[in-house]
Amino acid sequence: MTWSQTIVDALKENEISLIAYVPDSSIHQVTKLVDADEYFHLVSATREEEALGIAAGAYAAGRNAAVFMQSSGFGNSINAIAGLAIPSRIPIPIFINLRGEHGEFNIAQVTMGRSTRPILDVLGVPHYTIDSEDRLEEKIKGALKLCYASREPLALCMTPLLHGGKNV
Amino acid sequence: MFRYSATKRILSHLNQEPVVSNLGPTSDELWHASDRDRNFYTYGSMGLCSSIALGMALSCDEKVISLDGDGSILMNLGTIATIGREAPSNLIVIVWDNEEWAQTGHQKSHTAFGTDLEMVAKSNGLEKSFTVSDEEELDSVLMQALSEEGPWFIVAKIQDEPYLPVAPVQPEHTLHRFRQTFVTEPDRVG
Repeated sequence: MTWSQTIVDALKENEISLIAYVPDSSIHQVTKLVDADEYFHLVSATREEEALGIAAGAYAAGRNAAVFMQSSGFGNSINAIAGLAIPSRIPIPIFINLRGEHGEFNIAQVTMGRSTRPILDVLGVPHYTIDSEDRLEEKIKGALKLCYASREPLALCMTPLLHGGKNV
Repeated sequence: MFRYSATKRILSHLNQEPVVSNLGPTSDELWHASDRDRNFYTYGSMGLCSSIALGMALSCDEKVISLDGDGSILMNLGTIATIGREAPSNLIVIVWDNEEWAQTGHQKSHTAFGTDLEMVAKSNGLEKSFTVSDEEELDSVLMQALSEEGPWFIVAKIQDEPYLPVAPVQPEHTLHRFRQTFVTEPDRVG
């Protein structure tokens, strides 16, 4: 099974049926499966903090929701995490493509990519780095279970060693 | 038109419809008007009120009302495009427009300089967009919005009024109480 299908299956197992996202070429491997599957409602947001707001609203109304973004966009979403998801105790799995890792070609992506996990630490948001298919199902399902048990946002940071990155 | 009086008027037309309120006085006034289980007060994340309401509207069949503000939605105009793209028939966005950031010292907002939020909404496909300037007009559009398919976008021009005391709400409690009215099995520990 591909890594992207493993993620899609884990989303379904947790009844996560609304996905809010800002497109990313690596995460496209997951969101194209989501888009093609009637189980999901894929909402294209104009900005990452908007995606967090939409996901928070879905959860408040009884529907589990996850968000997908790139690390540069994570920078656009911090206040939604700090000012909405954390104080309201809203469990939102945040899937982040970590730019600025192995094979990065764009200097402008490096700093935000490298800063993403330290910022998550400062926010107190638990995060797991997924950089291979080794024990992938266990890692994803375990993280989602923890996210809902703790009722906190939680981040899954996916690197090019998992998804191949953006090639130019 | 004054926001607190208009808020009470809006609530008089509602049953159990979910209401999301922008941070600050809009949330305080909603609480003072009536502290309903179906009120979702925000106290941070400025700009996201109508995005939260959009997520709710995509997740339930009931009419969802967003009580947003001009300063807030100017921070997140992109969400009007997303509402236009998703076109949820059950979403009603009401933007309290006082043409200023009142709480931070009455600095004029962009709507005081010609930005027309009704036209912004229309140009994003929200055909049912209106601007109202008194409670009677608001009433009339809201009655229509509650009975006919949307999405609806209502810019309500308001004047300054004294603030009410800050509502004694906790975000975690708000979320939990609101959510329990939607889920069949209560959230629990373990």
